[in-house]
Amino acid sequence: MSTIEKTAKSERAEVIFGSPIYNQVAAFLIREAHLLDHRLLNDWAKTLAEDLVYFVPVRVTRRVQDFNHEFAITGHFDDDYASMLVRVDRLVNTTSAWSEDPASRVRRFVSNIMVYETDTPDEYEVVSYLLLTRNRADARDYKHLSAERHDRLRWVGDRFLLTNRKVLLDQVVLGMPNLAIFL
Amino acid sequence: MLDNVQKGIAQDPVSRYIDLENREVSLAVLHDEALYEEELKNIFAKSWLMLGHDTEIPNANDYVVRFMGEDQVIVARSPDGKVSVSLNVCPHRGMHVCISDSGNTRAHKCIYHGWAFRPDGSFIGAPVEREQMHGKIKTKKELGLKQARVHLYGGLIFASFDHNGPSFEESLGEMKFYYDMLFQRTDNGLEVLGPPQRLTIDANWKTAGEQSASDGYHMLTLHQSLLERGVMGGEPDSQHESAPAMYGINVAGNGHTLRCIPADTTFTMMAGSTTEDMTDAQRLELMPPPGITKELLPQLAKHMSPEQMHVLAKAPPVVGNIFPNVGILFIYVPLRDGSLGSGLVLHTMNPRGPHHFEWSTWFFAEKDTPENVKAMMRAACAQGVGTSGVIEQDDSDTWPHMSESARGVVGRTQTMKYQAILGQTRAADWPDKAEVYEGFSKDDCQWNWWKNYHAIMTR
Repeated sequence: MSTIEKTAKSERAEVIFGSPIYNQVAAFLIREAHLLDHRLLNDWAKTLAEDLVYFVPVRVTRRVQDFNHEFAITGHFDDDYASMLVRVDRLVNTTSAWSEDPASRVRRFVSNIMVYETDTPDEYEVVSYLLLTRNRADARDYKHLSAERHDRLRWVGDRFLLTNRKVLLDQVVLGMPNLAIFL
Repeated sequence: MLDNVQKGIAQDPVSRYIDLENREVSLAVLHDEALYEEELKNIFAKSWLMLGHDTEIPNANDYVVRFMGEDQVIVARSPDGKVSVSLNVCPHRGMHVCISDSGNTRAHKCIYHGWAFRPDGSFIGAPVEREQMHGKIKTKKELGLKQARVHLYGGLIFASFDHNGPSFEESLGEMKFYYDMLFQRTDNGLEVLGPPQRLTIDANWKTAGEQSASDGYHMLTLHQSLLERGVMGGEPDSQHESAPAMYGINVAGNGHTLRCIPADTTFTMMAGSTTEDMTDAQRLELMPPPGITKELLPQLAKHMSPEQMHVLAKAPPVVGNIFPNVGILFIYVPLRDGSLGSGLVLHTMNPRGPHHFEWSTWFFAEKDTPENVKAMMRAACAQGVGTSGVIEQDDSDTWPHMSESARGVVGRTQTMKYQAILGQTRAADWPDKAEVYEGFSKDDCQWNWWKNYHAIMTR
């Protein structure tokens, strides 16, 4: 087990940067980005837990007093394990998933990783930054977005599985025409 | 028509692009910047536009900021319960009075010089009351925020800047008969399930507008992936010729259209057997229209006429549009617990110049739906439509291509064609309301949209 250090303000125990657990979490996120960027979606689906909750809330613009209350109950994604498999199945096993045919060239930059212990042994909360660039066909420009991911990972003995992902977008109006890609 | 364009024959900006006789519309309409400005004036400043739902502003002083064309408006609830729609432009120097997109405030105070307005847009005053900084040339009454007319329909907030135009109900015409079956059918009505998704599409708003006017044909090919995986009831090897759900009753009037899909088709697709020999009441019991739970079914008979009940039992309206820029989907979708539920969805396409629009998507449920079912409907909507919807992500992919086609000078001489004509045909048991097209879903509804567009733009 890693050395645990309680941070001054938070009640959650932060997993120390550079500790074995931290490194394993970072490795998971980097490998996950690789799978997604390379469209290895069946392999990516194997990193999802069967009790997955995957939610990308709609964001609204509030006055600054309510800056921490900008995320809504409606989502751009509002998925569970079964619906994720439907998505992957459509992208991988049909000949007509047009919004990603030709596929976007997507690159996911994951950084600013912070890992926390939870009440459940072998489960960790992970906060990270996502910068995603997306280019399709012969577009001169990239569509891009940035977000903060709030994940929950479960160690199942030999690897992590994703049990919960909430992606907090930095946009109220998405600058891209769809999220036919995963965040 | 091509000759006219080449010869530059002087015509109004719209007529040279629309060939009424041959049912063709030049792609130039997706590109022409002067035409776009005319659309803002003649359509968006004159039509009834949908801004949201009154359940988004349930409490006194709640507000949201929405768009009518490119005009920002404050949609607010006064303490007396009234919903007002006010132009978000300060009458003093043109600043936006409201600088967030939702919240609650007793007074909207402009940050520039402090002019303050009530939720109904009326002017409270300017700071330093004794100095009367609004001057003496205009009275306070003249210095409120510019008002739009407001009409609530099933709780949907419609507004129009045309104070002399037809009422909302007049503008719906005979199509109201059908829309009532979606929006005004229960005791307590609909509610939103949260704020709308908002996206940017790099295309002219009319690419989505005309498609929403009951383009059923694209389902076979654009949404083929869903047929391939049996999600919409097709077999994995569905051929286009078997065309599930392509036969129905399309209705249209004033650019408003709806597709009514026979309950039997849906039932066969979902359950594999038929409702052919059932009575109306039995059919409704077996498969209530989208959004209506078994518990709400008795309320339908209370609010609907016998004619409407027959339509709901035989072929409920499921997809369509309200002219100019509302898209409707009230469809059956499987829920996460395996039950056959529904997704109730409205879109608006808000133009942002001739080459972009903002696509907004709201999810709804009948207020008296159980909370756990609402949560499942909310999720099923996000999974099927809108930003990441497995149905609609393919729709959002086609619109930019059409606008790109219109960038080329030769592309601009090509036309969108609406030449697959079914013609009006109505079974004896179908009410004589609006134009009725029973059979294969052809181009009649979309042509109705363009005829209405043409009429509005040339009046």
